[in-house]
Amino acid sequence: MENMTETTAERALPGQLDVVVIDDEETFTEGLRQTLEMGGYRAAVAKNGEQGLNLVRSAHPGVVLVDLKMPGMNGIEVLGHLSSSAPCTVPIMVTGHGTMDSAVESMKVGAFDFLTKPFDPERLLESVRRGMSLNVLRKERVAATEPVPAPPPDKNDLLLRGLEVLGEAYSLGLDNRQLFDDLAYLESEAKYHAQSLGQIKQKERAILDIRDDLRDVDTILEKYDFEKGALIQVLLDAQEKFNWLPRHVLHWISARLNVTVKEIYTIAGFYEAFSLKPRGRHCVQVCTGTACHVRGASEMLSRVSATLGLQPGQTDEDQQFSLSTVHCLGCCALAPVVQVDKQYYHSPSRNKFEKIIKSLDKEVPQNV
Amino acid sequence: MSKLKIAADLESLRKNVIAQRETKSKWVTVCTGTGCCAYGAEALADGFEEEIKKLGLSATVGIRRTGCHGFCERGPLVVIESKGHTCYVGAQLKDVPLIVEKTVVGDEAVERLLYLDGETGKRASNVEDIPFYKHQTRILLKNNSLIDASNILDYIAVGGYSALAKALTGMSPVDVLNEVKEANLRGRGGAGFPAGVKWESARKALDSTKYVIVNADEGDPGAYMDRSLLEGNPHSVLEGLILGAYAIGASQGFIYVRQEYPMAHKHAQKAIDQAREYGLLGKHIFGSSFSFDVKIHRGAGAFVSGESTALINAIEGHVGEPRPKYIHTTEKGLWGKPTCLNNVETWANVPFIINRGAEWFRTMGTESSKGTKIFSLVGKVNNTGLVEVPMGMSLRDIIFKIGGGLPEGKKFKAVQTGGPSGGVLPESMLDTPVGFDELTKVGSMMGSGGMIVMDQDTCMVDTARYYINFLAHESCGKCIPCREGLRQMLNILNRITAGEGREGDLDLLEELSEFMEMASLCALGQTASNPVRSTIRYFRDEFEAHIREKRCPAGVCTALIAYEIDPVKCTACGACAKSCAVGAIEKVDSKTYRVDQEKCIKCGSCYSTCPDKWGALVKVPAVPITRPPVGLGALCEVRSQCKN
Repeated sequence: MENMTETTAERALPGQLDVVVIDDEETFTEGLRQTLEMGGYRAAVAKNGEQGLNLVRSAHPGVVLVDLKMPGMNGIEVLGHLSSSAPCTVPIMVTGHGTMDSAVESMKVGAFDFLTKPFDPERLLESVRRGMSLNVLRKERVAATEPVPAPPPDKNDLLLRGLEVLGEAYSLGLDNRQLFDDLAYLESEAKYHAQSLGQIKQKERAILDIRDDLRDVDTILEKYDFEKGALIQVLLDAQEKFNWLPRHVLHWISARLNVTVKEIYTIAGFYEAFSLKPRGRHCVQVCTGTACHVRGASEMLSRVSATLGLQPGQTDEDQQFSLSTVHCLGCCALAPVVQVDKQYYHSPSRNKFEKIIKSLDKEVPQNV
Repeated sequence: MSKLKIAADLESLRKNVIAQRETKSKWVTVCTGTGCCAYGAEALADGFEEEIKKLGLSATVGIRRTGCHGFCERGPLVVIESKGHTCYVGAQLKDVPLIVEKTVVGDEAVERLLYLDGETGKRASNVEDIPFYKHQTRILLKNNSLIDASNILDYIAVGGYSALAKALTGMSPVDVLNEVKEANLRGRGGAGFPAGVKWESARKALDSTKYVIVNADEGDPGAYMDRSLLEGNPHSVLEGLILGAYAIGASQGFIYVRQEYPMAHKHAQKAIDQAREYGLLGKHIFGSSFSFDVKIHRGAGAFVSGESTALINAIEGHVGEPRPKYIHTTEKGLWGKPTCLNNVETWANVPFIINRGAEWFRTMGTESSKGTKIFSLVGKVNNTGLVEVPMGMSLRDIIFKIGGGLPEGKKFKAVQTGGPSGGVLPESMLDTPVGFDELTKVGSMMGSGGMIVMDQDTCMVDTARYYINFLAHESCGKCIPCREGLRQMLNILNRITAGEGREGDLDLLEELSEFMEMASLCALGQTASNPVRSTIRYFRDEFEAHIREKRCPAGVCTALIAYEIDPVKCTACGACAKSCAVGAIEKVDSKTYRVDQEKCIKCGSCYSTCPDKWGALVKVPAVPITRPPVGLGALCEVRSQCKN
């Protein structure tokens, strides 16, 4: 074990560190580093504030664990320097003498978490994991705000220009076989490239869409502080955002919260609120609660279902409408009730329901 | 706004608020509960605001959008508060100028919009004169119609948080606990476990971290009182929760709201934010050493998540499946810590008990069930809505005195209480007083307070099938007796309603019921057979009509009925053909229409469209479909033939 940790520490070249520990107590830091390495993080130790800051500047770690009380520069001062020199790095304050005031003070200067010694290894790793997630997010934010370099000249444009030149020569009467062949070749080449470029652009658009989706997911995750326990809340927010739970979103959540994909699918499958299939832009929900049932909900359901041409649980081809049944909408006095998007309707006749549906048809969907 | 540092601050704030309100001579309150909103209450409130601004009355007339008043059947409800409380039912946007002119500017009532008592033919102008309200004892629901849920000052004005001030300044946690225990407050969620006893065991548990939870995962179909309380008066629930936390020694609370109730979630969140702002949540409440905070957790739509251990699993971020019950949640609950979980209505009762004392609470109710209970009186009854009555009132009084009997002079058949775990009670049981033990004795249960009235047009076999279908769908599948038992029950009931019932089916159902009750893991499975048992117990003849005569006496089971047009009565107006979504009604000649039985989906659209004065559309027993036996049934048949 001793050997292994040493080699990993040696291998930890600048620029490849996950965690930097800044603490003067050697007995403590060694154990801390071992815990971190067992948790799969590349960690290094600095004995005082200055050394630590230098290491952070060269190695860009995701998380820094800073002792509050150290000779020389103290933890609060270190955090002050960190926020300007390494804004993406997530600092976590560690102390042997935790008081309410020092915790508040640390949070004020930007500490992500506050741990009191001695602490549970699991608690440490969980805190570091959440810090790492936040670090990735911060880095991505910075990358997104940096100016995009001008795209290299499009190959398609070059080809077109070549075609133009050749065409000019041709029109000038430089009629020869070679020139004609060149022209034909360039033309077919240009067509081929235009086609593949179109395909590439399509793919790029799809990837960009997915990236945007994942950014949205990150915003949601950040709201819940990357807490594992908030999984159902995160899924509910994601469901509201995308109207269903796409696969890439679930995998992203799985990676960010350190929850297995299997567990996420178990939960998404268990609760009624989640849909693993795309749903229509408009949701029609027929209440089948007892009060509605005795007042003719099943008749209303067959009416609604026939009007929409959908069975409960189905979505139409252009993803305009989804029909579903719910156990109780809690509007029992209005029974039987049908909910269209956020509006409740008391037993609409066939004609009235058609009118409701038509008024929705006209609305231009927002996200197209 | 500065925080309330000591209890006296609350009292002075209350006086200020009241003094400020007294500058207005009249208040227009519009119910904006979910029911009234579906009838256009929001637009109505906007209309009042505009009209009052237009007439320059803003200085003397106030407008308040309140939570549910309870009388949802006749929404939207508008109450003009001046000397009396004039209540208008079913007011529309176009009536706004008239109401403002007559009642707000003047002091007259608009006769046309007052409640009309069908029996006496008189109109009731005052809220208290309406029979629906007259026979109720509204304690928890009363404030719903007086306050704007999104404004904490409204709650403080009616005496809110005074129980908390009283407890934190003059009572020890044990005093609070004893008061609740003495009041014999029983859990309003369904099982009726004494809240005081639960609190005590959570208090005695040896752990420094404890939790309290509000269960607002109102999953019972047909019940919506928790929604109403949380939407209309979230602070009362919050105050109860803080008191409970103080008694038990918890510092963190959760409100678990089902996601189908977005408004309840919004209002509860706002209430928490405001309470924090005023220092009623957070560190050192009222300068005491007690600190407490609350978080909201949204449910994701699963009936079984309302079960306490399943709910705890859901808060932890897992699948909401129940845990075995031999470890009490009061000892090891949320994250392994002592946890006290109560229903919305239970928590809302606590401030009243602390303020008025256990003695007062015990004056209402029966021997074993004290206080009041909110019921959601729905189904085939004239005045549907939320009613709050003292325990011990008879079912007959609730349905006929408050509910105003059944519509269209139909005959009463049964009342269902207790949601999917409860049972149905026939007319002979109508004099049963409502109470936890009283209802259990006759084969139903209190449940969370759903009360669904059924008339002669409700088929009891279909009702039993409905509940079993619901439960089969909602069973989490963790334990076999519940999962498989329900599936088999559903199969049998589906067969009976499809006209393919067999002799011996009823015995089989009863046997399955007994087995599930003994062997299931949680209350969902243990009580799942109640709807079947009680329907068989009281309505055996209806089951037998389905099985032996292939006939549905109530005309509900679609496989056993057909719609036909009586050629003598039909005037060929064509209304039915227009209403048909599948084009199953065709014109035969200039005088008659005909239903194409092949195309008909039996949605009943034509039946309700045909004008009452013609009454040409009739339900007739369908010709029984004889299907060749398949599967296991076929095997049995062959075997019995071989034996013969």
